Amino acid sequence: MSAIPAVVAINTFREAVRDRVLYNLIFFALMMIGASILVGEISIGISRLVIINLGLSAISIFGLVMAIFIGVGLVSKEIEKRTLYTLLSKPVRRWEFLVGKFGGLLLTLTVNTILMTLGLAAALYYVSRNFLRADASVLVAVYFILLELALVTALALFFSCFSSPMLSTLFTLGVYVSGIFSKDIRDIGMLTRNPVMQAAAQVLYYVLPNFHNFNTITAAAHGESIPVSLIWQNTAYAALYVVLVLVAASAVFSGRDLK
Amino acid sequence: MSGQSHTRSVRLALVAVPVLFLAITSLQTRIDAQTRTIAQQKEELLLRSGPLLKKLSLGYDSLLADIYWTRSVQYYGTRIGSPGERFELLWPLLDITTTLDPKLMIAYRFGAIFLSEPAPTGADRPDLAVELVKRGVAAIPDDWRMESDLGFLYYWHLKDYPQASATYLDASKKPDAPLWLKIVAAQVAAKGDSFSTSRAIWTELFDTAQDPSVKKNAFQHLQALQAQQDFLELDKYAGDYRERYGRYPETVKELYESGFLSGIARDPAGIPYIFGPDGKAQLDPNSPVIIEKPLARSPR
Repeated sequence: MSAIPAVVAINTFREAVRDRVLYNLIFFALMMIGASILVGEISIGISRLVIINLGLSAISIFGLVMAIFIGVGLVSKEIEKRTLYTLLSKPVRRWEFLVGKFGGLLLTLTVNTILMTLGLAAALYYVSRNFLRADASVLVAVYFILLELALVTALALFFSCFSSPMLSTLFTLGVYVSGIFSKDIRDIGMLTRNPVMQAAAQVLYYVLPNFHNFNTITAAAHGESIPVSLIWQNTAYAALYVVLVLVAASAVFSGRDLK
Repeated sequence: MSGQSHTRSVRLALVAVPVLFLAITSLQTRIDAQTRTIAQQKEELLLRSGPLLKKLSLGYDSLLADIYWTRSVQYYGTRIGSPGERFELLWPLLDITTTLDPKLMIAYRFGAIFLSEPAPTGADRPDLAVELVKRGVAAIPDDWRMESDLGFLYYWHLKDYPQASATYLDASKKPDAPLWLKIVAAQVAAKGDSFSTSRAIWTELFDTAQDPSVKKNAFQHLQALQAQQDFLELDKYAGDYRERYGRYPETVKELYESGFLSGIARDPAGIPYIFGPDGKAQLDPNSPVIIEKPLARSPR
């Protein structure tokens, strides 16, 4: 197996750190500290719940923003700075470059998510002075968020292979929102009683990435256990979808005229 | 930029930024004063549909539920005790909260208290409280506390004793349900409304409550029950006093001095009771004890 994607990935990660991407952690930390202190004062009985909900939602939102806005610039930035030509003049295949870029951003997101999870754990400990066995669900929810981010990163990278950063952002956001509503799209299709519409809605349901699968924030906040089967099913779903999108991205990128 | 020019810019910023902030603050205060009347006139909840909000939350429904619950608490907290307050937005807020997160138990339990308490401490809508808690029972079917709360609403607010007894019995069958639920179910079925049953229920609520505000509420009701039980005793002594002296006593001191009482009878807050012109015992106007729903007393 070629080591080139790993080298590209490490460099992408270094570049992200140099670009002060991890500065968002300061904002996250301040938000968690503020919430930990404030929530007990303004609400009743939900301190722990708010910390988990707010922490997980923030991890997800910050991660999504990073995945989309950095993801759409991964290819275009290299073209703009002309560094892509230098890279591709070396024995680096285009798909290796793409996989490396994907891996680099995913590594950045993973480090960012791990640090935020530590912040969430600290806030949780501050509020309740202990950890419960049920808190393991929070870790599963964080893992699912990471799977979701991997999928969004792959989509952003895919769109950036053939369109401008602005359009790629819109496309990625569009697919993300549609993916959240995929079940509703199917249900609305079923309501029409038109066989063509029903079939189209059904196809859309399976084609769009189902981001709803990865949302276990509510279950984690209430300390409900998440079935092991769901963990491996979601892992397999995300892995398959990421591979699918990266294969499509490689195909598009390999045919792109970079002159 | 030269070093001198940079220093000048920094100095200017150090002066200008605080001054501009002060100006903005002063302007905002004026705007607030101007718009306050408008805000008071129209109190609105822009989106009343829980299912729609759930969709619009893009998967962050749980966090939104926390925000709506906090809004409900703030809404209730800022209006409690205001004469004539009807808490019109309380139900929609609780409805949205529990639709966004159907497992947010605290919203059902406290929401039911906010809705069921008589004005001005609540919305005086026990019917809505029952609906809310019924939803909670459906969403969290294995938790005995929800059904116990429902039983309490039937008992205390709706005075539906057969239903209350049946609900307490259902609660007693849930996992980890305490024994007292069965006892209360039997007591309510046998005696309906009685001091001993009410006292038993409020005592359990007081003992099992973990939140200070619920504990305080239970404590206040226990104090009120104690005072009402004292009233019955004092009414009896006042009748005896009249038989002996031809008039009702005006103070408990008179009862004590004439030998009917072994001491000055005081309410649970330590303030002596007083008597009305009809010879009925009452709380001193300065007493902090609150009796929201006086129990029936025999007429003179």
